[in-house]
Amino acid sequence: MDFQALFQQFLHGGVAEQASIFDSVSIFLPELVLSCTIVLMLVARLISLDRLIPTHWFAIFGGMTSFILVLQQFWKLSMNEAVATKIFTGLAVHDEFSIFFRGFLAFFLVFVVALTVLTGIPDDEDAPDFYSLLIGAVIGMMLMASANHLLMLFIGIEMASVPSYALTGFLKGRRQSSEAALKFVVYGAGSAGVMLFGISLLAGLLGTAEFSELALRFDAVFTGRSGMQDPTVRYVVLALLMIAVGFAFKLSLVPFHFWCPDAFHGAPAEVGGFLSIGSKAAAFALLVRLTMSLGGYGSGVHGTNTLNSLSLSCGLGLGILAIATTTFGNLAAYSQQNIKRMLAYSTIAHAGYMLMAVSALLVLQSVQSDAPFQLAHPEGAPRAMEGLLYYLSVYLFMNLGAFSIVALIRNQTFSEEIDDYRGVAQQAPILAICMAICMFSLVGIPPLGGFYGKAFIFASVYEATNVHWFMWLVLGAGGLNTVISLFYYLRVAKTMCIDLRPAGAAEISMPASSSPALYVMLVAGMVVFLGIVINPLSVVARNAAHAFF
Amino acid sequence: MGDIGLSQYLMVGAVLFVCGVVCMATKRNVIGVLMGVELVLNGSNVNFVAFSRYTPLGLDGQATALFVIVLAAAEAAVALAIALNFYNNHLTIDVDRGNELHG
Repeated sequence: MDFQALFQQFLHGGVAEQASIFDSVSIFLPELVLSCTIVLMLVARLISLDRLIPTHWFAIFGGMTSFILVLQQFWKLSMNEAVATKIFTGLAVHDEFSIFFRGFLAFFLVFVVALTVLTGIPDDEDAPDFYSLLIGAVIGMMLMASANHLLMLFIGIEMASVPSYALTGFLKGRRQSSEAALKFVVYGAGSAGVMLFGISLLAGLLGTAEFSELALRFDAVFTGRSGMQDPTVRYVVLALLMIAVGFAFKLSLVPFHFWCPDAFHGAPAEVGGFLSIGSKAAAFALLVRLTMSLGGYGSGVHGTNTLNSLSLSCGLGLGILAIATTTFGNLAAYSQQNIKRMLAYSTIAHAGYMLMAVSALLVLQSVQSDAPFQLAHPEGAPRAMEGLLYYLSVYLFMNLGAFSIVALIRNQTFSEEIDDYRGVAQQAPILAICMAICMFSLVGIPPLGGFYGKAFIFASVYEATNVHWFMWLVLGAGGLNTVISLFYYLRVAKTMCIDLRPAGAAEISMPASSSPALYVMLVAGMVVFLGIVINPLSVVARNAAHAFF
Repeated sequence: MGDIGLSQYLMVGAVLFVCGVVCMATKRNVIGVLMGVELVLNGSNVNFVAFSRYTPLGLDGQATALFVIVLAAAEAAVALAIALNFYNNHLTIDVDRGNELHG
């Protein structure tokens, strides 16, 4: 094929299942809008436009435009006016699953920007820098959510991580903030390096870096091989473990969680909220897509013995990590005095619960074959993914609510110790009640949103026990941990609502009609709403899950 | 010795990787740790380029290596800025002295 023909193919498409370059750019529009927002904000400061229009309006407007564009794409796909395709010659993929996460992240961006406006964490001078970093990280997370190539996987992770390091250290003059950023960057850079080495080993062995071809090559290389005596098997186990290190860092899984409490403790609460939700969601999207691709999704081969045993061992390995992570997170959270540290350990524990869903998904996926088993559980794996997506959506509101209340109280009392929260209900009942709602939802008490998230996940894990006995252990650990977590979440609620405000404690005032109060009421209201009206969101989550099945 | 083939390149990559990991684990100076990270990243770059020459990975490997060079530079810039900020606040860049956050 000569150059002219190649160029024409590049411009107008022609390869099956791949969009042309023009279509790819139009699908990529939400990310492009965010990129333009960054440029606009920086130019506005250059020409002093930011004195007329505050910078946060640019950020909010950009985030909303991007969210609306994603919604439009979602609408087109669900109305069957468009089809799922690969864009940019197979580097990224455009399907319901990636749209769900891109919409999730754009929506979340708007909420975080609104929160920073209410708490005033970047002053007018620093606002363009802060929002550039924030939006840059969100673009990276969106790339993670739609990556279909090992190179895109690494670029997405780095684009999401590097701005996060800078955001953590954003309060430049504070000792704690600089220490937090240093720990975060050292751990992050190290684990990214190890992950890249694992990627190079995997790509070299399989001779491809595209997700949709991985399974095909994997099947060809490993059919007939088994056992750790085979050097090729040891090689691929090493490569997968190295890639797992990178994911474990992003998801703050034990034993790669050390950065998380320190980074959250030193960073502003707004940044902590952003990291705990945004980067977790994006990393889960990427983890699901990579493991599903290794298990045969989108490659035409599935159900072979090699791929099934790969899925099963990935699922069981993640199950072990999930047990360790939830247990450790909950036990360590118990003794914390600083609320941000406690929320950091709670974030670790929740990453463990969500990992249980991924583990159940892979274990259920590993029996998708011609075996009679499939008839008994045809919907098991999609339901596990639906549970993961529902949990993430509820988690957005409950964790954002908790972190925003921490930020609002900090602005008035300059303290983040749980002891200083005593009797907040007497002075600012709105904050105390909304915090209690978020805490109850984090435990998973019905009828709040967190309950249904947990119920979906545990139901999938229960279903997976039919496939492998080990999932009973995962289920038991999940149930036991829910009970343990009750104590430290309720301690915060009790401190705020029942204890008396000590004499001489700093005044907190939060009238019900002020905009911060309306914000926390909206977020906490969503937590309650998602616990009562489950259907719309679970239908959307099911649609997104069906991108794979 | 024989001809230079894929395994020789991979060995260089692996040696760089191990040197980098040891450097990250033992150095107490932030700059030293960052140098370890650079060694690890460039160890994988050697792998990528070698694989692109000897396996069906093809140009993907070389493109990845180029992107990794750019990303490593970006990461190093942010990391050095953070190290400088740490120095301004603590008057040292010894990672062991960052021990105020614990528990």
